[in-house]
Amino acid sequence: MSKTVIETARESAVAGSDTPAISCQNVWQVFGENADSALKQALSQHDTADEVAAALRAQGLVPAVQDANFDVKEGELFVIMGLSGSGKSTLIRCISQLLPASHGEIRIEGEDIVSASKARLIELRRKTLGMVFQHFGLFPHMTVAENVAYPLKVQGVKKKARLAKAKEVIDLVDLSGREDRFPRELSGGQRQRVGIARSLVADCSVWFLDEPFSALDPLIRRQLQDEFLDIQEKLKTTIVFITHDINEALKLADRIAIMRDGKIVQIGTPADIVLNPVDDYVREFSKDVAKGRHAHVASVMKDPQNHPFGADDPGLRRDMTLDAALARCMDLYEPVPVREADGSLVGVINPADLAAALQVETEQ
Amino acid sequence: MSRLSFASLSTGSLAAAIALLVGAICLLLEGLVPWLSIFPKDWVLPATEGIGTGVKGGLTFLKPAARMFSALMAYPMAAMNYVLAAVPWPLLIAATVALGWRLGGIKMASMAAIGLGLVLVSGYWPQGMNTLALVTVSVPLALVVGAGIGILANEFPAFRAPVQALLDVMQTVPTFAYLTPLLVLFGFGPVVGLIASAIYAAPPMARNVLLGLQRVEHEVKEAAIMAGGTRMQQLFQVEIPAAKVQIMVGVNQCLMAALSMVIIAAVIGGFNDIGWEVLLTMRKAQFGPAMLAGAVIVIFAILIDRMSATLAQERRQLWDGRVSLGILLVGSIISLVFWSRIGDPGSYQMLDPVADGLDSWLTDFTRANAELLTSVKNGIMFYVLLPLRIGLDQAILPFTWGFQWTPAMSLWFFGAAALVGLALALRGQVTLGLVVLIAAGILETGVSQLPWPFVLVGAAALSWVAGGPRLALLSLVLLSTILVSGLWERALLSLYLSGAAVFACAVLGGGIGLLSAVSPLAWRVVRPICDMLQTIPLFVFLIPVLMVFQIGEFSAFLAIIAYAVVPMIRYTRQGLTSTPEEMIEAATASGATSWQMMRDVRAPYAAPTILLGLNQTILYAFAMLVIAALIGTTGLGQSIYLALGQADVGLGISAGAAMAILALIADRIVQGFAEERKKALGL
Repeated sequence: MSKTVIETARESAVAGSDTPAISCQNVWQVFGENADSALKQALSQHDTADEVAAALRAQGLVPAVQDANFDVKEGELFVIMGLSGSGKSTLIRCISQLLPASHGEIRIEGEDIVSASKARLIELRRKTLGMVFQHFGLFPHMTVAENVAYPLKVQGVKKKARLAKAKEVIDLVDLSGREDRFPRELSGGQRQRVGIARSLVADCSVWFLDEPFSALDPLIRRQLQDEFLDIQEKLKTTIVFITHDINEALKLADRIAIMRDGKIVQIGTPADIVLNPVDDYVREFSKDVAKGRHAHVASVMKDPQNHPFGADDPGLRRDMTLDAALARCMDLYEPVPVREADGSLVGVINPADLAAALQVETEQ
Repeated sequence: MSRLSFASLSTGSLAAAIALLVGAICLLLEGLVPWLSIFPKDWVLPATEGIGTGVKGGLTFLKPAARMFSALMAYPMAAMNYVLAAVPWPLLIAATVALGWRLGGIKMASMAAIGLGLVLVSGYWPQGMNTLALVTVSVPLALVVGAGIGILANEFPAFRAPVQALLDVMQTVPTFAYLTPLLVLFGFGPVVGLIASAIYAAPPMARNVLLGLQRVEHEVKEAAIMAGGTRMQQLFQVEIPAAKVQIMVGVNQCLMAALSMVIIAAVIGGFNDIGWEVLLTMRKAQFGPAMLAGAVIVIFAILIDRMSATLAQERRQLWDGRVSLGILLVGSIISLVFWSRIGDPGSYQMLDPVADGLDSWLTDFTRANAELLTSVKNGIMFYVLLPLRIGLDQAILPFTWGFQWTPAMSLWFFGAAALVGLALALRGQVTLGLVVLIAAGILETGVSQLPWPFVLVGAAALSWVAGGPRLALLSLVLLSTILVSGLWERALLSLYLSGAAVFACAVLGGGIGLLSAVSPLAWRVVRPICDMLQTIPLFVFLIPVLMVFQIGEFSAFLAIIAYAVVPMIRYTRQGLTSTPEEMIEAATASGATSWQMMRDVRAPYAAPTILLGLNQTILYAFAMLVIAALIGTTGLGQSIYLALGQADVGLGISAGAAMAILALIADRIVQGFAEERKKALGL
């Protein structure tokens, strides 16, 4: 399906500048003995990624990430989703250089970090990169304040200054008053707040979150997701977010990459994923998702230039969910206009298309 | 046996069948082919002498450096000696009590006060301080070396495998064995003891540092990387502090090992330390004073162990430091006020009457119960140990059993075993049936006179079952080196005694462990005894058995059991009580009685843990076997001890290596079985 005008416009708005914040080209990560040389050989002998992966598997190697290609724009919230073992954690570790990738090019803010020196990597991690871990990765021997201030400590920031900065971020994640606790004295949700605060303390511009909310109870998870969105609203950092939960992905993402067995099978907006799954694997994910609640009017509406519309105006907005829009168009048959809050026309929608979009699944 | 049925045998049965076959051939051909049963002397390579010359050559080369180091180490030792001797005892006791309070509150403080008070009135204060001086110099050395090795192995993965192997070997080489080369290298004197104790105490530290660093959560390490720490910052600010609990376990073990070794080192020439005192009094058969000196060692061991163990607690609580300062202040004031009247703590021999009383009571006791004690000793010697050692055919004499063992009896015996074996085989237990036959053969021949082809093949077969072809080959090669080095007979003697002790430990410890698992009350009684036995340095075990049963194999047997039984008890109980709650509930819901639960659920689940306990017991038994050479055992232990006395490096090293080989093979086989059980249970 071709992209709607509005979507294209939105994507370019997100991009801001021309250089993507993160760029991955042909990234491979293979595990096993002599994996790197085997990969090199396989790449020279085979054309497609699938053939290379098959050749590697035949040698008993594990191609955990296969030919990953994507750009993340500045300020974009990019979610990588997949089941456990699909390679998503490996991929984020390649990007953050916790694992040296077997092959491929990874650029952060235009800089090639695969060939970066050790010192440069340390520098990048101190100034640019922040990371939150699934099981928090808190230092058990440090208090909350010491944990949060640690990234400043390694940079040599004086104690008073770093604790003052830590206090700010601790306030941001709503943990004030618990500065002197040890991680073991906190609940799971509080621990992850510490993890988030620690990753933010050095004012990073690229933020990695590796299944940050997976280890938490559903209620706490939702609460932290909302707070996370608030923080993102304030800071506008570039984010790579890993999850295995489709609902979390749909709720947070600007764009979603879906991984399966080491391969990225689809990259798209939440609406894309829900409405136009590329294969059964992706469809299986979105099966239980109430599409009407996740897809927005913008994803179905058409260009008002070429499409006439009738006299009825049920007051549709482009960020309305399909469910809400359908409720307003229940007894309408003519195409209707979609307007911005200020009344300007942005699109046209046929109520029949609305209903059809919700039933993509059953049609196929 | 038809080809079909042969192929359908399990690996275990096949291995047992091969071992049985080789054993039977050896027995049948005993008269015809003498070299089958006894390895001919002509075939022995002069390995011992060769090693002796070779190592001595190497040592001579190192000698100047070693002597210099030893001269260097004499300074901190002398300084420490001087300090501990010069500090007035009230101050030293106050300092220890203050430390005890800070670490463990009133309980630890009173333990320190009572313990050191007893040391003071025993009159062994100066000797005790000399021993402590050795420990205080050797422990920092061991800690630094051990931590260094552990960190290096963590930083450079290429080092890890060789370091692990080295640590394994150092754990199995008996303590006395490396005293001999050290003796040649560093000369006589307390410095050798110090260096030996540092060498002995470093491995547990290295092991725990490495283990602790590797166990730091992966994400914690990654978080340190992502925070932008340099490798040094990651290591020293995050990983080492996060591994602190495990490292403190290492410190605790290091302290205990150092103390244990410092005391053993008295064997090569004491210098008025407490180990020397025990040895001296034991040699003079003054068991009262020996007990008293042994008690001083035990007090030191308990204090050091319990205090350092608090450092390894997960959530450690420090007690009010002001109280500690107060105690220290009181100690200083007392020392100052009574400065001139404190006098020599060595002259406070207030417990001497107790010791003398104990001595004379003991003499009376052994005299009064001589008949009973002798009959216990002879009973076990004649009916258990001797047949095991030299076989039924030689152990059963009119003098011991009241009749003569005849060849006809042997036939009957084998016939009965064959019947039992056949019955088992028919019920599907082929392997067990074959094992019964092998056991009958071993009992008839005696462990120390087993034909060498049978031992080699049997060990290889067992290794094969436990760990596959590689382990089988390893066992075969290592045992062959003992065979050609001429230490074979002594190795078999060691194998017999430790085997008998391990078997006794398995039965006794297993039983006590089972009882402790079933009854919490029993465990409340058993647990402190186990704690105590594990804290006591090896050497001290010899005193009580020697008092009651005099020098000899039986005393050694008892000492080994007393030391080696503890892991068996602990692991058995641990295994039986750690069954997951869900499995218990499932069994209960199925209507299992508590006995059925024990047999069908708890015991199978506990099997790997119990096997690990057995493994520990075997290693403990080998360690004690060498120490027990002091009170009369034959075999490798004796050789090592003799080599020490004669500074015979070749014999010392080869006998030590042989001992280590036996321990290593036993360790690998039992570990193999434990792994196999674990895998079968999906753990």
